[in-house]
Amino acid sequence: MIIDIPLIIDSIPKMLMGFGLTIQLLFLSGVLGLVLAIVLLLMRISGRWYLAAPTMVYIYVFRGTPILVQIFIVYHGLPQLEFVRESIFWPILREPFGCAIVALTLNTGAYVSEILRGGVLGVDRGLKEAASALGLSARHRFIYITTPIAIRLALPAYSNDVISLLKSTALASTITLLDMMGIARNIVAATYAPYEVFVSLMVIYLVLTWMIQRSFGLIEGRMSRYVKEQA
Amino acid sequence: MDVITGWWDDFFWGSVVVVEVFVVALIMTVLFGLIGAAAKLSRSRVAKYIASGYTVVFRGTPEILILLLVYFGSAVALTAVSQTFDPEVKFTDIPPFWAGAFAIALIVGSYATETFRGAFLGVDPGQIEAARALGLSSLQTLVYVRIPAMWRLALPPFGNHMLSLIKDTALIAIIGLQETLFVAEQAIGTTGKPFTMYILVGVIYLGFSTIITLTVMVLERYANRHLEAAR
Repeated sequence: MIIDIPLIIDSIPKMLMGFGLTIQLLFLSGVLGLVLAIVLLLMRISGRWYLAAPTMVYIYVFRGTPILVQIFIVYHGLPQLEFVRESIFWPILREPFGCAIVALTLNTGAYVSEILRGGVLGVDRGLKEAASALGLSARHRFIYITTPIAIRLALPAYSNDVISLLKSTALASTITLLDMMGIARNIVAATYAPYEVFVSLMVIYLVLTWMIQRSFGLIEGRMSRYVKEQA
Repeated sequence: MDVITGWWDDFFWGSVVVVEVFVVALIMTVLFGLIGAAAKLSRSRVAKYIASGYTVVFRGTPEILILLLVYFGSAVALTAVSQTFDPEVKFTDIPPFWAGAFAIALIVGSYATETFRGAFLGVDPGQIEAARALGLSSLQTLVYVRIPAMWRLALPPFGNHMLSLIKDTALIAIIGLQETLFVAEQAIGTTGKPFTMYILVGVIYLGFSTIITLTVMVLERYANRHLEAAR
């Protein structure tokens, strides 16, 4: 077996043309998913069963089914329903890009909300007690004490979830989108050289993963700086 | 629901395939995880590097990319080999079942490597010293002290690995494994009801996830039974 080096040199720029789409998918569904996760978290810890129960069901369903099935339900499934086609969301759900964003957002929202909950539950009770002894209201306690510490506690797990989201964006290639994975699949279908193309793409994804990890590492280091000063 | 009538048996056999792939991949995952953990804990620097490379690569690249690389990569190699014996051969591949099980086991095995390594190191050193003091050989220490303490620590993360594994089986439909997602595509071809069919697939996977979650809960209770009295 010979490795086709010209093909590698030729296909990397082609695959990088899908880089923008991969980043758009990652960024848009990452931000929207985070917003969704925060809403879900607030509902979950509100202490009202009629808010907490639907969130628990939501998280259970979206974490218990494959993301590929969720993407297919949104892209292939929803157009079957009359009211979806007549709703105001149809312009979004008609396009594969919109469907990918919707499916990825709904999925990552469920995971991230659990991560954030872990952060909130990890905040030391003594700190909250101290805050209330200082006369802070429940709202102020949540905003000034719980939130900053919970963010720092949740950050390592959150960075892992951003990486999973990056990996999930590759599934957008199954609904005709030409992200890096989609382009790579087309090149392989045309040249039948899976090693050259897919291994090059693996390297690209690894670089991206490393960059995400590195940036989160820097943020973590900055947020934990008071811990180092103590030591 | 009428449209599903007539497809029940297909979905049933699709679910059987999911279970089969899951079991095969689970065995391979444990194997890869144990080999990876052993390599990371070994004194050999080469083994450590290889194991670190394995975990970095397989945790940092999309699952679908690995799956396609394993399947098409092996097919290209096999076709080349078989063509040297018989030029008539057009295409030889590893069956999607085995290629898929191997690919998802490689991915989840890289996560399991870290879990097993963490569990090995997580065993209280005092227990190991106690075993030594009682005159147990290192093999006896491993079998009677280390492993019983280890699996209790590894169980909760390993439950999550099993959930990833069952959800990843859905991806194998992309390379043509006739599991539930593949059945759904066939059913949609004749009934034209994608929403109904994909929701059904989602329900099936949710059922599998629930079974795994409950099993892990029971096993955890069993593993921690010696702590009951302390509670």
